[in-house]
Amino acid sequence: MNPVASSVAGDGTGRHVAVVDLGYGDAGKGTVVDWLCASGPVDAVIRFNGGGQAAHNVVLPDGRTHTFAQFGAGTFHGVPTHLSRFVVVDPLALAGEATHLAGIGVPDALDRVTVDREALLATPYHRAANQAREIARGADRHGSCGMGVGESMSYALAHPDTAPRVGDCLDEGLLRHRLRLLRDRLTAELGPLDAPPVADTVTAFTAFARRVAIVDGSWTTRLLRAGPVVFEGAQGVLLDEWHGFHPYTTWSTTTFGNVDTLLAEAGLPGAVTRLGVLRVVTPRHGPGPLVTEDPALRPEERHNGTNAWQGRFRFGHFDAVAHRYALDVTGGVDALALTHLDLVGQYRLRLCDGYDWTDRLPVGPPGDLDRQAALTAKLLASRPRYTADPEPDPDGWVAAVEAALGVPVRLTSHGPTAADKVARRAADKVARLTAAAGR
Amino acid sequence: MGSGAWSTDVYRAASAYRKATGASAFAYSDGGARTVHPTLDPGGVAARESRDSTEHPQSLAVAVLFDVTGSMGGVPRTLQQKLPQLLGLLLRKGYVTDPQILFGAIGDATCDRVPLQIGQFESDNRMDDHLGNIVLEGGGGGQMMESYELAMYFMARHTSIDCHQRRGKRGYLFVIGDEMAYPKVKAREVRKIIGDDLDEDVPLRAIVDEVRRRWDTYYLMPAGSHYAGNRRILDFWRDLLGQNAVELDDLDAVCETIATTVALGEEACDLDTALADLRDVGAGDAATTVSRALARIGADRSPAVRGTLPAASGHADQVTRL
Repeated sequence: MNPVASSVAGDGTGRHVAVVDLGYGDAGKGTVVDWLCASGPVDAVIRFNGGGQAAHNVVLPDGRTHTFAQFGAGTFHGVPTHLSRFVVVDPLALAGEATHLAGIGVPDALDRVTVDREALLATPYHRAANQAREIARGADRHGSCGMGVGESMSYALAHPDTAPRVGDCLDEGLLRHRLRLLRDRLTAELGPLDAPPVADTVTAFTAFARRVAIVDGSWTTRLLRAGPVVFEGAQGVLLDEWHGFHPYTTWSTTTFGNVDTLLAEAGLPGAVTRLGVLRVVTPRHGPGPLVTEDPALRPEERHNGTNAWQGRFRFGHFDAVAHRYALDVTGGVDALALTHLDLVGQYRLRLCDGYDWTDRLPVGPPGDLDRQAALTAKLLASRPRYTADPEPDPDGWVAAVEAALGVPVRLTSHGPTAADKVARRAADKVARLTAAAGR
Repeated sequence: MGSGAWSTDVYRAASAYRKATGASAFAYSDGGARTVHPTLDPGGVAARESRDSTEHPQSLAVAVLFDVTGSMGGVPRTLQQKLPQLLGLLLRKGYVTDPQILFGAIGDATCDRVPLQIGQFESDNRMDDHLGNIVLEGGGGGQMMESYELAMYFMARHTSIDCHQRRGKRGYLFVIGDEMAYPKVKAREVRKIIGDDLDEDVPLRAIVDEVRRRWDTYYLMPAGSHYAGNRRILDFWRDLLGQNAVELDDLDAVCETIATTVALGEEACDLDTALADLRDVGAGDAATTVSRALARIGADRSPAVRGTLPAASGHADQVTRL
């Protein structure tokens, strides 16, 4: 039994752990992955969705912080990162992130990253097109991060054979050809793009390929057959491309779907403990439904301010209806991690157990976007019901969340660092971790 | 520009990857240079300084000087690949908050063209540039001696470090080599290479005593170098530095050994905890080497309070205790 899995899942169901946000993102996946990697031997962190727009903040006890975007949130503990083929890789942002890591005492992050050659590239042309489209939407922005991740996925759907992929960076001529094609197609559609010349992008991308290990799909299988791996999800299930509240979604599968695919390919179906991350207040970055939104909730956010592309960071009370829906669409989890419990007592936090018309949202077949858009319209007109507030202490909240969602809470977070986490398995385990944290 | 946390500037990325490629960090030397790079020239230098700043209020000077002569074989090149990790190792576990690291190289003043090369104290990866500019000698005295005493003279009289001057805390000096020092610092060599006018030679033991007043000084002798395992050389350094003369059986663990030594010296942790930390960051192999090298040093240090990540539970039973 892998100690990491056992620490979060009691008896545990698998050797690996997959961490997924059951809200709209920003619940604290980074800090949970950091804790997992601090708590036991982890061979690698595998990213399985999203791209350079992820922002997983990790704070170390000595005060150093880093916003993990493409590097896994276990990097501070020396854990290697693997970007699977489901990640949209941004070599430019990866360099910027590596430079910051070097400045805070992790000089070798690039030595510990492997990238699947099949992964799509996010390029300056995707980015410029992404931003041109969001600007054209005006007030109806979808909340895109402006990093070109969705643009890269949609271009690949339209042009699967010529979409630039990581492996192309190993072949300068092929890369140049595909980047030109991409630029010309997007320019024809949107007009001139604010992006650097193809030659300069080729220079940077081929330098990336010389520096970073590019691997084929068998690498993931090797990792999964060896030691314990942590799958680090990006964004949140409620933003999922098929099950989210269309059109306020992401071009990415944010459920456990890709994890299940990778494990099945490795011949290890189900060898994973599924850990859902939730926060005692439900945050949302940018527009879209947030039924429990309460402008009076203003927890201090060190890392998540307003940004030009996504707009305001909003907060709502714990929305058990929305989280229940997330559990239903993703097939459930083995355990929950509940974060930001240090806010309990500081604010009057409430728990929404039902809306004015239902306490369970209907789950549709994946891909029926008209149906999802209708659900979105319904949500934008829904009102929350707060039947019973949890006892205003951490134990009261854990009990209330477990009762509302029917899943055990195995990890609680009471502050930003790994030392502020408490595993709730058995009394002896809690005592041991508390002692370790107090040392 | 996107809203992601990190710059997506294409030119900065290209430059960052090129810089990080580091196929040969010893670019200066590999380019055929046979004279000291201007940034590493000890001649006419009043002092190499390690200073407190608002950004780094608790500066701690750490100097690593290594033998670059032929007797060391491939060791200098291995050190060049490993040493850039040192800053990360010191910071990663929070042993020290503001280390400032200086790299330097030692040759033989009696016959080498570049007998002494001394970089600057840096608190970021600029120190890697100094490593890259070091000239590898390749020659060698053949007398089982190199000019370590000249390097110690420079460290004793031409460094100015706030950790000592302001807070009374010695810096850390690591000399990595495999031969003995000459018995005297020769006034003639000092004049030629550093530029000081000395009336007379300085005996080795006097300069060792002088340097140790400001620098907690260690001699690391790696296995795999020419004379490694030669008891006479280890005894020579033990006689000068006591238990601070350390034999290192795996050069791959050089940064871990240095970081652990500093952690023990700063009483940031005890040896067992430091070894557990190494396993924690995936350096399990290094931990074995470090425990063997430092058992004598760590043994008489008592455990102290440490304010860093909790040690991984379940690791303690894997620690090699000597």
